Amino acid sequence: MPETSPALECRQLVKTFGRPAVDRLDLTVRAGEFYALLGPNGAGKSTTLRMVAGLLPADSGEIRIFGVDARRRPLDAKRIVAWVPDEPQLYDKLDPMEYLEFVAGLWEVPAGAARARAEALLRQLDLWDVRRERCEGFSRGMKQKVALAGALIHEPRLLMLDEPLTGLDAGAARLVKDLLTARVREGATIILTTHILEVAERICDRIGILARGRLIAEGTMAELRAAGGGADGASLEDLFLDITRTPKERAA
Amino acid sequence: MRRPAQGFRRLLALDLTLGARAFWALLGARSHRFRFALAASVILGLHGLALAPALWVGRAEDGPEGAALVTAAARSGAVFILPWTVASTMTAVTRMLFQRGDLDLLLSSPVRARDVVAARLLMQAFEAVASVGLLLLPFAHMSALLGRPHWLALYPALAAAGLFGAGLGFALALGLFHAVGPQRARVVSQIGATVVGASAVIAAQLVAMLPDAWREALYARLGADAGAGWTKILEIPERAALGDGVALALWLGAGALAFALACLGLGGPFVAAAMASAGAPAAANRGGAHGAFARGLGAAMRRKEHRLLWRDPWLLSQMLLQTLYTLPVGIILWRHGGVTGTAAVAFGPTLAVVAGQLSGALAWVALSAEDAPEFLATAPATRGQIERAKLAAIALPVALAMSPAWAALLWAAPRAGAAALLCALGASASGALLMLWRQAPARRGMVLRRHSQSKLVALGEHWLSLLWAAAAGMAALGSLACLAPIGLAALTLALVRPARRPARLGRRVPAQGLRAC
Repeated sequence: MPETSPALECRQLVKTFGRPAVDRLDLTVRAGEFYALLGPNGAGKSTTLRMVAGLLPADSGEIRIFGVDARRRPLDAKRIVAWVPDEPQLYDKLDPMEYLEFVAGLWEVPAGAARARAEALLRQLDLWDVRRERCEGFSRGMKQKVALAGALIHEPRLLMLDEPLTGLDAGAARLVKDLLTARVREGATIILTTHILEVAERICDRIGILARGRLIAEGTMAELRAAGGGADGASLEDLFLDITRTPKERAA
Repeated sequence: MRRPAQGFRRLLALDLTLGARAFWALLGARSHRFRFALAASVILGLHGLALAPALWVGRAEDGPEGAALVTAAARSGAVFILPWTVASTMTAVTRMLFQRGDLDLLLSSPVRARDVVAARLLMQAFEAVASVGLLLLPFAHMSALLGRPHWLALYPALAAAGLFGAGLGFALALGLFHAVGPQRARVVSQIGATVVGASAVIAAQLVAMLPDAWREALYARLGADAGAGWTKILEIPERAALGDGVALALWLGAGALAFALACLGLGGPFVAAAMASAGAPAAANRGGAHGAFARGLGAAMRRKEHRLLWRDPWLLSQMLLQTLYTLPVGIILWRHGGVTGTAAVAFGPTLAVVAGQLSGALAWVALSAEDAPEFLATAPATRGQIERAKLAAIALPVALAMSPAWAALLWAAPRAGAAALLCALGASASGALLMLWRQAPARRGMVLRRHSQSKLVALGEHWLSLLWAAAAGMAALGSLACLAPIGLAALTLALVRPARRPARLGRRVPAQGLRAC
C-alpha cells in the first residue's frame, strides 16, 4: 500500500434519508493527521463517519481508506479502521479486560500481543483497578474510556471518534486527549467530531466544517481565519458561528 | 394542602394509562376503530371457545362425581394461579429495583413511599390476574348465561388472588433482597421467582418420582375431604372460586390484609432496598488474573456469549426451569431401568419440544438481543461469520441443559432414544434457524416476552416444535411416518427463510425494545 494514499478520501458521497444528509461530499484526510469534523446538529458528521465505518450504505460516491475501496472491499477497510460512537456500545456483563479480549478476537489480534496491549491500555486510561469489574456499574465517562481502549487494541491506522469527550471529567478528558495525540505522533490518523470547539482548536491539525451535508470550510486555524476574514485572535467558536450561519441569518 | 391519597391515585392513574397504551400497542399500529374491532373479536372468540368447557362443567356438576370433579378443577387452578401471581410480583419488584425506570423520580418526589408501593403493587396484581382472567372469565360468563351464576365468584376470587399474591411476592422479593444483599439479590430473586412460578409443575414431577405406595398415600390424603385442621385453610381459595360465600369473604379478607400489610409495613424497607440497589457496586468477576486471551473470532465469540449467558439472571432462571422440567424425566427413566419403547414414545416428544424452545430462546438472545450490533458491524468479519460463531456458541449450553435427560433416554431405550435424540437435534436446529432468519432487534431483558414480538415467529416456533415432537414419537415407534412431520418442518423452514438478507449487521434497538406485530 503506498504511504502517499490519504487516510480517508470521500468523493461525491451521497446519503439521503428523505432529504440529503450527506450531499456530494468531497473530503480528504491525510495520513498521520488529527482532523476535526465540525458542524451544527444534523450537518451530516455522524452519517459520514457511519458510512466510512461500514455501518451505513452510501447511496453513491466513493470511500477510500488508505487506498482501499471501502464500498467494494469492506472487510479489508474494516481491518484498519476503528470507530467509537458517541454512545459507547459495551456489554454490561463483561469486565474491561474481557471486552478487550473479545474485540481483539474480532480483529484477529494474536492472543499474546492482545493481552499485552490490553494491559497497557487499561493502565494508560486509568482503568487498571477496575479491570475485573463489570461495565454495568461504570459511569458514562468510564464506559467511554473502555470503548476507546477497545478501538485502540487492534492498532487501527484510522481512528474515528464521535464526540469522544462527552461525559468525561477534566482529568479523564486530559488523559484521552494526551493518548490520542500520542497515537497521532506514532503515525495513526484520527478524525473526531466534537461540539467542544476548544478541543478541536487546541489539538487538531486541520478542521473541516460541514453544513447541510457538504464541506463548507476546511483548513488549519490560520487558514480558516484567513478565509473567514476574522481577526488574528478570532476563536474557532467565532469562526464556526460565522461560517455556519444560514443565508437567512446573514441577511437578518 | 395535598391530601395523602392524592399521590396514590395519580400514580395508579398513570400506571393504568401506560398499561392501556401498552395493550393497544400490542394490537398493532392501526386505527382505533381497527383496534376496537380486533379486541372485540378476540373477546367474542374467547367466549365462543369457553362455551364448550362451560357446557361440559355444567353437565359434570350435575353428575354423581360432579362436586369432586369441580373441586379438583378449582384446586388445580388455585395451585397454578397463586404461585403465578407471587412469582410475577417477585419478578416485577426485582425489575423495579434494578432497572429503576421512574423509581428515582418517584422516590425524590414528596409522594409517600407507601403510596408508591400501593399503586405499583395494585397495578402488578391487576396485570397478574388479568392474563389469567382473560381465559377464565369468559368461562364464568358463559356458565352464568347457562344458569350457573355462582361461577361469577371467579371475579372476586381472582381479585383476592391478585392482592394476596402481590403482597406475598413483594414480601418475598424484599426478604430475599435483605437476606442475600443487593449484589446477589437480582439473580437469587429471579431464580426464586421462576421456581415459585413453576412450583406446581415441579411438585407434580417430584410426586411422579415417589415410590408407588407413597404416591398413593399422598393422593389419598390430598383427595380426602380434609375435615379439620390446617388443610381446611388451604381449601379457602378453591371454595371461594366455587362461590362459597364464607370462603369468599375470608379469601377477600386475606388478600386485602396481605396487600395492606405489604403496603403499610414494607414501604420503608422498599425505599431502603431501592437506595441500596442504586448504590450497589457492580459485580466483580471472580479470580484475580485473567487467563489467556481467546484466539480468533470463533473462540472470542464463544467466550463472550457464554459469559453473557452465565451472567444473565433472566436466562439462568429460564434454563434452570427447562432443566428442572427435564431432570425428573431422566430420573424416572433411570429408576425404571430397561424401560420399553413406551417411555421413549412418551418422553422423546417432550425432549424435542424442550430442546427446540431452549435453542430458540438462546438463539434469540444471541442474535436479536445483541447488545452492540453496530459495533459488531464495524468488525472485519461478514455477517455470516458472526452469526455462525454465535450459533456455535449457544450449542454448548443447549447440549449441557439437555444431556442428563438425553443420556437417560439413550441408556434406557437405545434405539428409540437415538431416534428421539435426532429429532431433538432437529428441533434445536429448527429453533435456531428460525431465530436466525427472523431477527428483530430487542433488549436481552425481553427474552421472556419474545413471543409478543412477532406472532408469526412465535407461531412458527411452536409449530416446528410440534412437528419435531410428532416425528420423535413416531420414530420411537419405529414408524417411517416420522418422515412426514420432518418433511413438513423442512418445508416450513424453507418458507420462513428470507430470499435475501442484508449483508451487514447493525440495527438500533427500537426505543421500546419490542415492536408490536
